[in-house]
Amino acid sequence: MVDVLRIKDLIVEYTTQRGTARAVDRVSLTLGENRTLGLAGESGCGKSTLGRSLMKLVPYPGKIVSGDIILNIDHDITWKKGTIKKGDVSILELNDDQLRMIRGSEIAYIFQDPMTSLNPMLSIGKHFIQIQQAHDPTIEDEQALERAKEVLESLGILAERVDDYPHQFSGGMRQRVMIGLGLVLRPRLLIADEPTTSLDVIVEAQILEEMAELKEKFNLTMILITHNLGVLAQTADDVAIMYTGRLAELAPTEALFENPQHPYTEALLQSVPDVTKPDKKLAWIPGAPPDLVNPPDGCMFNPRCPFAMDICKQEEPPLIQSDTGGLVACHLYGRS
Amino acid sequence: MTQVLSGIFFHLGKRKESTKDYSKKWWAVILMLTVLVVLIVAALIAISLTARSGVGIHVVAGTFLLAMTSLLTASYIKRINLPNNQVTRHPVYLPVAIVSVFFAITSLVLGYIIYPTDPIGFGIVMIAGGIVLSVFFLLVYEGYPRLKIHGSPGILAISGLLMVTAIIYMTVIADWIVPYSPFHINVGGIREPPNPSFPLGTTSLGQDMLSRVIAGGATMLQVAAISVVVCFSIGVPIGLLSGYRGGLVDKTIGLVMDSLFAFPGLVLAIAIAAILGPGILNMAIAIAVVYIPSYFRVVRSQVFTVRELPYVEAAIVMGARDRDILFRYILPNVLPSSVVIMSINFADAILTAAGLTFVGLGLSVDIADWGWDLTLGFQVLIVGAWWISAFPGLMVILLALGFTLTGEGLNEILTPKLRE
Repeated sequence: MVDVLRIKDLIVEYTTQRGTARAVDRVSLTLGENRTLGLAGESGCGKSTLGRSLMKLVPYPGKIVSGDIILNIDHDITWKKGTIKKGDVSILELNDDQLRMIRGSEIAYIFQDPMTSLNPMLSIGKHFIQIQQAHDPTIEDEQALERAKEVLESLGILAERVDDYPHQFSGGMRQRVMIGLGLVLRPRLLIADEPTTSLDVIVEAQILEEMAELKEKFNLTMILITHNLGVLAQTADDVAIMYTGRLAELAPTEALFENPQHPYTEALLQSVPDVTKPDKKLAWIPGAPPDLVNPPDGCMFNPRCPFAMDICKQEEPPLIQSDTGGLVACHLYGRS
Repeated sequence: MTQVLSGIFFHLGKRKESTKDYSKKWWAVILMLTVLVVLIVAALIAISLTARSGVGIHVVAGTFLLAMTSLLTASYIKRINLPNNQVTRHPVYLPVAIVSVFFAITSLVLGYIIYPTDPIGFGIVMIAGGIVLSVFFLLVYEGYPRLKIHGSPGILAISGLLMVTAIIYMTVIADWIVPYSPFHINVGGIREPPNPSFPLGTTSLGQDMLSRVIAGGATMLQVAAISVVVCFSIGVPIGLLSGYRGGLVDKTIGLVMDSLFAFPGLVLAIAIAAILGPGILNMAIAIAVVYIPSYFRVVRSQVFTVRELPYVEAAIVMGARDRDILFRYILPNVLPSSVVIMSINFADAILTAAGLTFVGLGLSVDIADWGWDLTLGFQVLIVGAWWISAFPGLMVILLALGFTLTGEGLNEILTPKLRE
């Protein structure tokens, strides 16, 4: 099996007036072909920054400080001004022109808010034509429209609606169009940044189901960024829990949900309401995430952790192999 | 009447009546203003028609006929769309084509029958006047219900457009209806007050005031149109470039624009006009330079806003080309606000053009121009010849008023953010 994406010790920092905040801190991940990785964590834990840095699109004043992102490409990409050979490519070493060719055709990114992600002045068909011609200027309009119709039909949108404008679509349909736009160039990797957060639960379920089907159909590798653990339990193969920019736990989905290792993961799972146990009191995690400009010493979670020990306030826990087949960064383990 | 008019000066005294009555007065004032302007223009045309029988009346009648044809076509198009109970997105081309052919043939035929010595010129005036008059009637017929849904800004825009089209119509057919050539001197006595043979009096050079008032709009409108086109085609692209590229490019262009902005508009225009010398094009350029910074500022700040919108980011993420992002994503969403600046710019350009001619940096004396008549009339005001400056001044005010109302109305219609 080929590793589509390898992230090595990635560090992303935001420079603010108060100081430097490390949004992504030494994250290493490997993503095999056709796998779905779920990235979860509370707001501000760096999951979106991580997703964006995979396309080298960290918003200002963010900066990728060090690390490496290696993407595997299974065919040569050739365009007017240059080529990218197939094989492993380091995203961070590409220039703007090469990045533009990679974006969309190799890595697709789907945003959270479908209501504002489409240009109100362009019809849906024009969106598709323009994206395809940006990567291959030789494609004729009709040809591009045919492909657009094909993709839209597979997403359950009538082909004749390509002439309609974004305001004529509902939120769920717009998100389908966005997914279609992401998939029309047959990318290998799809990053979905909270794709269903702004949709209601029924549409959310439909879209997640469609995404699972499309994953099979288009042979996709996916990264699903969300703070909804239920979504991950349904769709992801592996789940990575992030806390203050670091990986807290990375494990196969079943193992993570049945046997969470990290106290933070456990607390997160506890704080999801359970309809089968109506009497259960809903747990919460006391305190708030630490200030990233002045982070606490040792483990970042120690001020909120019920199992905090002395060592947690002094030493940062390394990411070690856990008993359940995943990785965990906690002093509770590996000290026997 | 006095009560209605007091609506204009509402801020001078404490208001006693309810908002409803008050807004009724406001409507009445706008309506009266529009009707007044249209009536003034109609009266000018009518007076000159009675003074010179013959070709003039044929031109007016012919353009009227053409305008009525297009009005009928418009109502026909409207009716064939209604039964389906849906709005067709594509305009109906066939009726429009038929009307255009009808326009051309009628004008030429009429030209050969009525004015055989210059049928082509007659035909061109018929077509141009017919189009302007059609726009006028269509605004009343079609635009009123359409713009009414926008509320008071819609009404403002439509009354402004009506005033402007009325004056444009008068200017277009001016050459064919004026009783005397506006350039000829000594057609009557010197500084004759208004009398039956010279309804608006004569100038110090004995030119017919009525002819000069009717024909004088041409230079004004030309200067305004050229300066707006120049402004638009320079200000908008550099605003786009500056806003999109940012950084050093933005700082450099911004510095130049700010230093232009620092001068008082009229002073800068006078300086540039003095360097370039007289002429319509030079006047237009002088005015354009003054107004480029305002386009630049508006477009640049809009680009900054639009650039951060999710759909632009989505386009970048999907690997869109720079030119696509600039011209398909940013420009169409920036244009409405620059159109607003354009309509306000029109009004300012007219006032500045009048000002430039007033200080003697405009055109040569023999050209019919409201600005010149203002200057010359101002000098003889002391001997009681009020009519020489009063009538051109009135026309400048009315034209500027029309453009200002249009601008204010469009401003609120096209930038919906203001309404939220």
